[in-house]
Amino acid sequence: MTKKKKVQWFWMWVIGSVTLRLILVYFPRNLNLSSRPEVSTPLTSLRRLAEGYWLKRSSMSPYAGSMYHGSPLLLTFLGPLTVTRIEGQPDQLLCSLVFVIADVISATLIRAAGRSLQAAYSSSLKVIGLHQLSETSEVLPSGDFAALVYLWNPFTIIACVGLSTSAIENLVVVLSLYGACKRLASLAAFGWVLATHLSLYPSILIIPVILLLGYGPDAPPRKLFQQRIKLEVGNSSSIGSNNLKEELKDQSSVLKVFAWRLVVHFFIWILLWSSYVLVLCGIYLQKHGGLQELYRRTYGFILTIPDLSPNIGVLWYFFAEVFDFFRSFFLMVFHGNILLMIMPLALRLNHRPCFLAFVYIVISSLLKSYPSVGDSALYLGLLGLFSYELKDIRFSFLLFAGYVGVSLLSPVMHNLWIWRGTGNANFYYATAIAYALFQVALVIECVNCMLNHDRMVTKLTTTKLKDAKS
Amino acid sequence: MEFCFLRILKLTMKVLVMLLLFLGNIKNSTAYFSSSSEATMHTNNWAVLVCTSRFWFNYRHMANTLSLYRTVKRLGIPDERIILMLADDMACNARNKYPAQVFNNENHRLNLYGDNVEVDYRGYEVTVENFLRVLTGRHETAVPRSKRLLSDEGSHILLYMTGHGGDEFLKFQDSEELQSHDLADAVKQMKEKGRFKELLIMVDTCQASTLFSQLQSPGVLAIGSSMKGENSYSHHLDSDVGVSVVDRFTFYTLAFFERLNIYDNASLSSLFNSYNPNLLMSTAYYRRDLYQRHLEEVPVTNFFGSVMETIHTDSAYTSLTNKNFGGAKTKTFLGQSFSSSDINSVRNSDDEDQFNNLTAEEDQHDEAGQCIFCAMDSGHLWSFILGNVITHESVDFFVCYGLVLMLPLLVFSTWLSL
Repeated sequence: MTKKKKVQWFWMWVIGSVTLRLILVYFPRNLNLSSRPEVSTPLTSLRRLAEGYWLKRSSMSPYAGSMYHGSPLLLTFLGPLTVTRIEGQPDQLLCSLVFVIADVISATLIRAAGRSLQAAYSSSLKVIGLHQLSETSEVLPSGDFAALVYLWNPFTIIACVGLSTSAIENLVVVLSLYGACKRLASLAAFGWVLATHLSLYPSILIIPVILLLGYGPDAPPRKLFQQRIKLEVGNSSSIGSNNLKEELKDQSSVLKVFAWRLVVHFFIWILLWSSYVLVLCGIYLQKHGGLQELYRRTYGFILTIPDLSPNIGVLWYFFAEVFDFFRSFFLMVFHGNILLMIMPLALRLNHRPCFLAFVYIVISSLLKSYPSVGDSALYLGLLGLFSYELKDIRFSFLLFAGYVGVSLLSPVMHNLWIWRGTGNANFYYATAIAYALFQVALVIECVNCMLNHDRMVTKLTTTKLKDAKS
Repeated sequence: MEFCFLRILKLTMKVLVMLLLFLGNIKNSTAYFSSSSEATMHTNNWAVLVCTSRFWFNYRHMANTLSLYRTVKRLGIPDERIILMLADDMACNARNKYPAQVFNNENHRLNLYGDNVEVDYRGYEVTVENFLRVLTGRHETAVPRSKRLLSDEGSHILLYMTGHGGDEFLKFQDSEELQSHDLADAVKQMKEKGRFKELLIMVDTCQASTLFSQLQSPGVLAIGSSMKGENSYSHHLDSDVGVSVVDRFTFYTLAFFERLNIYDNASLSSLFNSYNPNLLMSTAYYRRDLYQRHLEEVPVTNFFGSVMETIHTDSAYTSLTNKNFGGAKTKTFLGQSFSSSDINSVRNSDDEDQFNNLTAEEDQHDEAGQCIFCAMDSGHLWSFILGNVITHESVDFFVCYGLVLMLPLLVFSTWLSL
């Protein structure tokens, strides 16, 4: 019943958010949002894309001059749209429309993924015998909630109106997660390949995607299933029906086994899609250095961070103000930090691959070389998918107020530093540090809360088992 | 008989050799002349305005220079291309009753030192050495760009000097002199370094025309306010400021220019003919033997202003390779000769023609490689792609096609795995 009501309101809210974005687009020059460092980074700025497109059409490499550092496919797709002008309409209207459409598609994908996640979770709760919990988990349609959070998040709206290509990057990440939730290997592979191609960091999402394809969507810890199966087997053996025993054994085997076939398909599709994408890029750049140039200018740029213009991340200050001598060391530390977190989190949260993906996205948007508010938009939207498990999160108001405060203070400090000259880089970097701290606090709190939820579920199951046994 | 024959032969040989040499010389000299003035196009205008006198009673020299500065700026030359050298500061002089104001007329109608005056060499920086360095471009490395004359072989330069002068010299700062042969040497160096296409030297001092008597470089036009043995006089005394505020020659020059605006094409000959020796109380003598063109054809804005032809295009980011090279638009563009050999374009004109033939329906101004073009006639497209895969447009089309093809492939593959 609740879901049906929400559906009507859902589409109204979607249309409302689209209208809001269109209204903001029609403001003069997109409210100058595209010039804010929090919104447009050297990787996501549309102005740089237009420059790269012009360079390509002047028969030069689009990467000449270190303006454009994105994918050639985006150049082919968005480049002509940046140049076409319609009389009487604001500039870049077509690109803004593309980003709005990308946002809407991401929202619908999040909603669908949320639905399947929720259905799978409540059914798995039923399997381990927590029927009441399973019903309460379905009260709030987390998919709709997450989609609306994604659409109405001010960060998403700002990233969309500010003409940042992070809307498209978010779309492909969400597409890959959706494909993985629905166990569609080729869709997941397509999304992952494109996400890695557009920006390097979603490559770490291969682990949650493999886990999603292998084990299925988020579920309580697997040992609970085994305990339940053992109990059922024990019960049925006491009743004495062999057929039932075998059925239950099959069930247990299905639940335990990792779906290797699907994962192998996934890898094959990765190979196919990546070769397709790379062949296209190679042809596009054949006169200007080919794939090596591509890697040097996109991945090399992301990893070596030559552009130290201030942004909302934590890296530029180290190299610009403090430690240019230890540059390689800090590059290794920051990127290694992301890599080192992969294994432990995967081991701990392997029964919840979608949540694992969320945590990876938060960590990578915290430590990536050129973060922007578009990255936060993605994980804040995905946060809504776990609204049932994370309902007991502590410090929620503090985190919310922190985000609001940082997003208000950061432009002020930037203005004080750059335009008025009464501040200095420390002012702006302080807000960047605060932002990073709040993101860290958020991710720690979320993981904590999720683990507490798991512990609660384990406790309930074991008590039920004990009751059943006794 | 044979002896006579030999003599005649020798004579004819000599005559022929002499003829050849003579013709060769002429050819060389004409080539030289033509290469100097006709081959390069006039691209920019510069003005070097020098006031060489200091002290309060030489107020009028400052006012002269500032009036010319104002005129030249009004007619279009921007500050980046004006080198203004003022040897003393009259505007903020302690004896100036009107601080920060310099007038060139006793009606005080115009404040020449209002806003927007950019002095490049001031005070004691105005020396003969610096002046010659500006002209020849031989500066120390630390001299900023605003103090350099950054002209090239397409520049028209106006050089205006005023101060106290005499027979073959101009006095700088009451302590040193610029002699006419120094000026001639500097101009010769400028010509050899290709620092100007045409040069107009205007001198307003006593016995001014002696200063450019030693010039020999082609393309130089010079006018002085008085001849040898004559003085140049100030126009009138401003009893309020207390000194004479302008010289006669400059006053009548300004009277000529104040009637003009940037669109008028009054010629140099009308300027030179406007000087009345009775009013000037001296003979304004000009030297045009080094200047090839007829003065009636040369508009004053060639030197005193900066009239550039602008071509309006609608689209924002059009690349040069898409425009017609031989078209009317690029012919009238002032300056850079847009011959196709100059532009380092990768594209062959053959390919361009082929492409143009294939896509005859489309508007020439549309950008190539748009994704919208994928909706074109696919037969043409495939044959084109198969024909030459190397050219630009096909690459763009191919990649665009490939990108668009990704979507149905994705849908198909998803359907397969469902």
